[in-house]
Amino acid sequence: MHRNTADLALGLCVVVLALLAIFAWVPNDTATGIIQKIRGRQSIGDAMAPTLAALLIGLSGLLITLESRRKSAQEGPHVSLFNLGFLAILTGIFLASVLLMRWSGPLLVGLFGPEGAVYRDLRDTMPWKLSGFVIGGTFLVGGLISLMQRRVSWTAVCVGLLTAGLLIAVFDLPFSDILLPPNGDL
Amino acid sequence: MSEVLNYIWLGVLAVFTGPDLFSLFGIGIPVAPIMVLGGLLTGIAVGATPGLAGPMAMAISLPILISIFGFTPDALLPVFGFLIGIMKGATVGGAVPAILFNMPGTPDALMTTLDGYPMAQSGQPRRALRIAQLSSVTGDTFSDIVLFVCAPFLAVVVEAYLDLPEKTALLILSITFIAAVMGSSVGKGLLAVGLGLLASFVGTGQSLTPRLTFGVPELSGGFPLVAAILGVLIVGEIFKGIEDLVRGGNSGRKGAQTLAEGVKDRLQPGDIRRIAPYVGRSALIGTIIGALPGVGSTLAATLGYSYATRRHKARKQPEDTAFGAGAPEGIAATEAANSAVSGANLIPVLSLGIPGNAAAVFLILAADSIGGFNPGPAVFRFTTPEVNPELVIAFGIFTLMSIGNLLNWLIGGSFMRSMGVLARIPQHILLPVVLLITLTAIYVQETSLFALWVTFGFGILGYLFRRSDIPVLPFVIAFILAQPLEQTAREAFAATGANPWFLFSSVTSAVFMLASLAAVVLLGRNRM
Repeated sequence: MHRNTADLALGLCVVVLALLAIFAWVPNDTATGIIQKIRGRQSIGDAMAPTLAALLIGLSGLLITLESRRKSAQEGPHVSLFNLGFLAILTGIFLASVLLMRWSGPLLVGLFGPEGAVYRDLRDTMPWKLSGFVIGGTFLVGGLISLMQRRVSWTAVCVGLLTAGLLIAVFDLPFSDILLPPNGDL
Repeated sequence: MSEVLNYIWLGVLAVFTGPDLFSLFGIGIPVAPIMVLGGLLTGIAVGATPGLAGPMAMAISLPILISIFGFTPDALLPVFGFLIGIMKGATVGGAVPAILFNMPGTPDALMTTLDGYPMAQSGQPRRALRIAQLSSVTGDTFSDIVLFVCAPFLAVVVEAYLDLPEKTALLILSITFIAAVMGSSVGKGLLAVGLGLLASFVGTGQSLTPRLTFGVPELSGGFPLVAAILGVLIVGEIFKGIEDLVRGGNSGRKGAQTLAEGVKDRLQPGDIRRIAPYVGRSALIGTIIGALPGVGSTLAATLGYSYATRRHKARKQPEDTAFGAGAPEGIAATEAANSAVSGANLIPVLSLGIPGNAAAVFLILAADSIGGFNPGPAVFRFTTPEVNPELVIAFGIFTLMSIGNLLNWLIGGSFMRSMGVLARIPQHILLPVVLLITLTAIYVQETSLFALWVTFGFGILGYLFRRSDIPVLPFVIAFILAQPLEQTAREAFAATGANPWFLFSSVTSAVFMLASLAAVVLLGRNRM
C-alpha cells in the first residue's frame, strides 16, 4: 500500500495537538464550562466553541491520516529541513529588524541627543522620531534582498532606504496623528 | 417597487453628492468616483506586476485610506470605491504579463498565456490585449448585474424565512463547503477551518476572564484581526516567494516581448462576432462559480477554457487558429470566466455576510474598521419612511461597481497596454519592499509592535500552510465568521429553551446540516 509519510505525520501531530487542546488547554484556560447554568437557565459556556473547534481539528487530523494512505510517498509538498532552516534565518532577520526599530532611536538619543533628554520626549521631533523606523526598515529590506542574492550589496541598502523614505512620505508627512514604528509603543 | 427605486436613487446620490475632492470650474468633483478611478488604475498596475496581487494592494491601501477618510460613515463609499477599483483593475491587469511575457500576473491568468502569448509572439500583442480587456470587462459587467439582482433578493429571503437555528446552520454549511472545495484534500480544508475558528476564539468569550490566552495580557482582546488576516494571506505568500528565490528560482523576468510596430496589430473585422459566444458562455460559468463561496477564479478560467476548447473543435473552420496557437476565442474564454467571478463573489458577502474570496475579506475588514455598515441580510431592509442607511450604502456600492465597469470599458484597455514595463521589476526587490509596506500599514492601524509579532507569527503559519498544501482562505474565512457563528449559536440555544438539538429543530436547518455532511463526505470521497 502506498502511504504519504509527510501527510501521515501531519495527521498524527494534528490529532495529538487536538487532544491536548480538548483535555488540557481549553478546560484550564476558560472561565466557564461547556454549558453553564445561571439563575436556573442553561446557556452555552465559553469552553463550548473552542472544544468543538478542537474536535474539528482532531477530525481533520484523522481524515488527513486516512487520505495519506491513498497518496504515494513523493506526492504533494511537505515541510523539509531546508524550509525549517529558512524559517530560522527569516526569524533572525525579523527579530534583528524589530530590535533595531525599537532600540536605535533611544540609543541615538542617548549618544547624540540633547543632554538629559530621553527618547519619549523627542519621539515627535525630527530626526529622532524616524531613526528607528529607517534603521530597522532598511535592515529588514536590505537583509532579505541580501539573503536572496546571497551577498550584501549597496543596492539592497539603497532599496531599503528608499522604501523607508517612501513610507515616511506616505504616512508621516501628510498625517500628524499617524505613528510609525516604534513610536506607538514608546 | 417604488421604495426599491427610491433606495437605488439614494445610493446613486450618496456616491455623487458625497464629499467633494476638489472643485472644477465651480463644480464640485465628488470623491467616491475619483477613488474608483484611482483604485482601478492601481489595480491594473498591481495585476500587471507578477508577484503582486489585488489582495496585497487592498491590504496596503486600507490603512492609508482610513487615515485619509477617518472612521466616519462618510468614509465608507470612498474607501469601498478604491478597494472595488483595485478588485476590478487587478482582474484585467493580470492578462498583461500573461500575454506579453508568458508570465501570469495573477494565478487565474495562467490559461491566458496559452493563446495570449502565441498571439503576441506572432506580432499581435495589442490585439491580444484588446481581446483580453473586452472579454474581461464583459464578464465582469455581466457578473455585477447578476449580483445587483440576486444579492438583495437572497438577503430578503434569508431575513424572512431563516430564524436563529437556520442562520447558525447556514454559517456551518458555508464554512464546511469552503473547507471541502478548497485545496487538495477535505482533511486539510477542515484543518484550516478548525485552526481559524480556534485562533479567533482566543481572548474572546462572555465571561470577564478572557479565554485561551495562556495568561498573556496582550492577548486578552484576541489576535488583532488585520494582523492575523494579513499575516496568513499576504506575509505567508511573501515568505514563500522569498524562499523560492533563495532556493535559486527565477527572480528575473523573461525576455521582453516588445509591442510590435508596423504589424496589423489591432482588433480585426469579425473578432467581436467570433469571441462573443465564448465570452457569453464563460461569463455564465464564471458567475455561477463565483457565487459559491471559496471556489476561485482559477477554476472558472480552467472550466471556461475547457468548454471553449470543446466548442471550438466542433465548429472550427480550416482557416481558424487552433487553441494553444493564438486563438482569440481562447483568450476571450479565459478572461471572461475569471473576471466574471469577481462580482458574483460578492453575493454571499452582501446577502449573507459570508466572504467567499480574498477581495471580499478586505471589504469586510474595511466595513469592520470604519463601522456603520455590517454586510449581511439585515442590510437589505427596505424600511419606510425612515431610511435604512446601510441599504443606501449597499446601493452606493452597486453604483461604484457600475462606475468601475464604465471606466474599465473606457480607459482600462489603453492603461493596461502601457503597464507591460511593470513585469520587469525583479521579485527579489519587490517582495521585501511589499513586506515592509505591509508591516508598516499594520502598525499604523494597531500602533503596537506586538501586532507586528502577531503578523509575523501568522505569516509563518501561512507559509507552513502553503508548504504543506493546506488552503489558506478557509482559515481566514473561518477566523472572520467564528464570532458571528458563536454568537448566533448562543442566541439560538437560548431562544429554543436550551434545546441541544436546536440545529435540527426545523426542516431547513436540518437540511443545511445534512448538506454540510454531504459536502464533506461526497467531495472528500472524490479526492481520496
